[in-house]
Amino acid sequence: MKNIRNHLAAIIVAGTAFGVVPAHAEEFLVGSEVPLTGTLARVGTGMKEGIEVAADVFNRRNGKHKVKIVTVDDESSPAKAVAAVEKLASQGVVALTGGYGSNNIGPASDAANKANLVYMTSGGVDENLSQRGYKTFFRINNTAGYSTAMVGLLADMGAKSVSIVTSTKEAPADLAKDVEKILKAKGIKVVVHSFDPAITDFKPIINKVKLQDKSEIIAMVGYENDYVGIIRAAKVLKPEVKAMVGVWSLATAKMASDFPDLMPNVYGTALLPYPAEFKTAEGKEFAETYKKLFNKEPDYLGQFGYVQSMLLFEAIARAADAGTLKTGGLPAELRKSDKETLIGRVKFDDKGDNPFFSHRMGQHQSGKVAVVWPKDSATGKMNFPAVPW
Amino acid sequence: MNARSVAILLALVGMYIAVPLLLGPNLYVMSLLVASIAIGGVALAWALLGNLGGMVSFGHAAFFGVGSYVSALLSMKLGVPVFAAMFLGGVGAAVASIAMLPTLRLKGPYFALAILAYAQIFRILATEWKSVTGGSGGLSSIPRLPEIAGFDFGSKVGNYLVIVTIVLIFALIYERIRASHYGIALRAMHDSEDATRIVGVNSTFLKAMMLFVSAFMTGVVGAFNAHYINFLEPDYGFSGLWSTIPIVAAIFGGYRTILGPVIGAVFVYLIDQLVFKSYIPSGHQIMLGALLAGMVLFSPTGLLPWIVEKFKRSRHAAA
Amino acid sequence: MTELILQAIYSGLLQGGSYALIALGLAVVFGTMKVINLAHGELVLLAAYVAYAVESAFEVSPIVAIPVALLVVCVSAVLVYFLVDRIQKDRELNSLILTYGIGVMLTNAVLLIWKADIRSTKSAWLQDAVVIGPFYSMRSELGFFVLSLVLMGLLWWWLSKSWYGRAVRAVASNRDAAKLMGINPRTTEIVSFVVAGILAAFAGVALYSYGVIQPPLGHALTVKAFIITVLAGVGSIPGVLAGALLLGVVEALTVTLLSSALQEIAGMGLFLLVLFLMPNGLFGTVARRG
Repeated sequence: MKNIRNHLAAIIVAGTAFGVVPAHAEEFLVGSEVPLTGTLARVGTGMKEGIEVAADVFNRRNGKHKVKIVTVDDESSPAKAVAAVEKLASQGVVALTGGYGSNNIGPASDAANKANLVYMTSGGVDENLSQRGYKTFFRINNTAGYSTAMVGLLADMGAKSVSIVTSTKEAPADLAKDVEKILKAKGIKVVVHSFDPAITDFKPIINKVKLQDKSEIIAMVGYENDYVGIIRAAKVLKPEVKAMVGVWSLATAKMASDFPDLMPNVYGTALLPYPAEFKTAEGKEFAETYKKLFNKEPDYLGQFGYVQSMLLFEAIARAADAGTLKTGGLPAELRKSDKETLIGRVKFDDKGDNPFFSHRMGQHQSGKVAVVWPKDSATGKMNFPAVPW
Repeated sequence: MNARSVAILLALVGMYIAVPLLLGPNLYVMSLLVASIAIGGVALAWALLGNLGGMVSFGHAAFFGVGSYVSALLSMKLGVPVFAAMFLGGVGAAVASIAMLPTLRLKGPYFALAILAYAQIFRILATEWKSVTGGSGGLSSIPRLPEIAGFDFGSKVGNYLVIVTIVLIFALIYERIRASHYGIALRAMHDSEDATRIVGVNSTFLKAMMLFVSAFMTGVVGAFNAHYINFLEPDYGFSGLWSTIPIVAAIFGGYRTILGPVIGAVFVYLIDQLVFKSYIPSGHQIMLGALLAGMVLFSPTGLLPWIVEKFKRSRHAAA
Repeated sequence: MTELILQAIYSGLLQGGSYALIALGLAVVFGTMKVINLAHGELVLLAAYVAYAVESAFEVSPIVAIPVALLVVCVSAVLVYFLVDRIQKDRELNSLILTYGIGVMLTNAVLLIWKADIRSTKSAWLQDAVVIGPFYSMRSELGFFVLSLVLMGLLWWWLSKSWYGRAVRAVASNRDAAKLMGINPRTTEIVSFVVAGILAAFAGVALYSYGVIQPPLGHALTVKAFIITVLAGVGSIPGVLAGALLLGVVEALTVTLLSSALQEIAGMGLFLLVLFLMPNGLFGTVARRG
């Protein structure tokens, strides 16, 4: 009897391996509303790549269910993000993954909530997003995770004075305010220089840091173009600081290869070292698929897009198995997720936030990125004090 | 009943009854319509200033942003009812335009760019005046349109009916102004400013009135958009797109006509989103640019006059 | 404090030099055709992306890309001219719309070809610090500042001494009279677009060499250039240079004395102030009040 069962199992396995889809296999449409044009085109494209990798991996790994991604560009505009969600809803998607910028995510997740669809994102860190009491809204990261990492690193350095140079755009301004508050509470001297995103020459700001603030650390909160401008200005003026610390989009493979002379010793948030040392089987599969599909090293945008989507796909599969997918069981199924992922542990609270989210800090070291904070996930020793010049 | 009133009646029936009934359940198409008609409202206000006041503005985003902020803040912080707040948003934009009175003496492109400078300054003020505007983080959970007498104006169809009504009222106001003796004086002013001065018309006063009216209309549409999207931040409220897309729409539809700008907005928006986007998912605005350039070169008076022309010709041919 | 202010003035002057190069292209075309080319910033951006393409393909300094950029941008500028020239009526307004449309096309073409990533030169040599007394800058900033002064000098010499240059000025000041003098306005118009293309090509390569470029940048460049031509008043090269330097210095001093968040406001405020109080610009002769 046991033998026969084994045989049967073997046949079924062989059948799936040869592409014979079991009769009850279902393909679920999952919507992806991301900015592919406009001001957020860069980050949106990065997230989209992660989403596609997640779909590819999921479809290979999960023999029973398949997902199909339908992507609509929201053009970095709130009204078009709403329209995109409604279009996807009318096409019968079972959930949504994507979204960048709190200003677009807000209205888009509103529309998703009205359509009773789960909205899963990693592109908006605004506090208010998770305060609306929506059952359908989920995100895997938040401002707190970024500020904890930045402040944690600064504390490990023993910094006594910090100059924060921050963009007036929404997400950087938010994070900078958070960091300033925590640092001041710790009795650290903080000076904030906020700049208009249109600014290109940072020398006048850095000169103020050099001659007036005389801080030990420059903390940069902005985007790639801002970092390049700030570090270049600092390389020219050479203020006597001990470290240049940034946040997102900085400790990345792309920055290391595009700006090899600017990056040495610069810090930024980094989930993984570069070249990526994926220790888990899932991490390896992610990196291989990413290289296969896009012919480049995975970056943090892809990792976030992957993690959020994989959690969503797995919950869809569970809900489908339990027969609750069509009856609105997906949010409940997502709340049952508790998983160690590429970005650390993820578990959602009743607001859809991930309280376990804490970022890591990496440092550019001789063309590579080493994770240096927190100590228990560090892959290298922190070079301190050290600057790019 | 002449042909004109039949046409108007049919159009009204179509807009108020047929569209909600036929397209109402399709939220996606309704969203596109609401967004495009809102742009049409701004385009109409822009064309009013251009057509009657003889001023080309590159900065209607200034009025749009002020209107949206005033209305959002009044309804959120002082609890003003949404429809009243929207009206006051328009008033706020008109008040803001007082700061622009010195620009009225400037010629063509100088006026256009001076208004653009105002839009930038207002954007930065909204970013920096954190205690009131919430800074770059913006405002979230702006109240939606209310439910009145059992009808939910906050629903998609409700929003649609509200913006259609707003734009129709604006079109009526525009039409009245144009037909009034102010309108005649304004048009005379185009031909010769000196002539109007001799007849005793104060041209700066007339231009100022047109600026107020245009600012008010744009402000109301901005306010509507704030309550429709429920989110607002300086980069969005004062986005340059609120200045440029309506210009495109107005020129495209024919900015010398009253409804041309609105029809242009709906046409351009729908063809961009429904057709171009499906062929070039990212970067489809390249087609929009080409369409615009082609329109200027081949039919500079706009779409609506062109269609009217064709229509007349075919009728002539038939007769 | 003195040190801060000195450095701010120096930084502002260098920044102003590159503004001047962009603004001058806009002003030359406006002079001959009374057309504001809203795609001018996109032409500058195109040159910057050509520099990127050449640098990344051949691993050479972006300066090597200047001839390629000149070719690509001048051809594009002449194409823009031929389109603008086809406008039949109401050219002042319609040319705005047409060139805006061309700008949108160029921005999206850049996005489709080179993606949305930020780009800037890899050359460390261009970014090395040059320190002259209390003044700090990158080598590329100082180098291109000098180059733009030379270019402007050449342009000024050409406009006042050569036949074509004088023809351009003649058309700018009185089109009909110039026609009577046997000048073909069409030729001079093409020449002015080519000159604008040359200036845009240098400005673009300069931008890529010291700054960071991304597709939506073109529009902002056009606006800045326009502000400068207003500051300057139409019809004078030294005026455009002075207006650009003034804008650069005011922006930098705002950062030093007030806050960097207010930099844009300072520029716009200056623009409006000059517009209202000095209707002819700081150096111009043509009235712009109605």
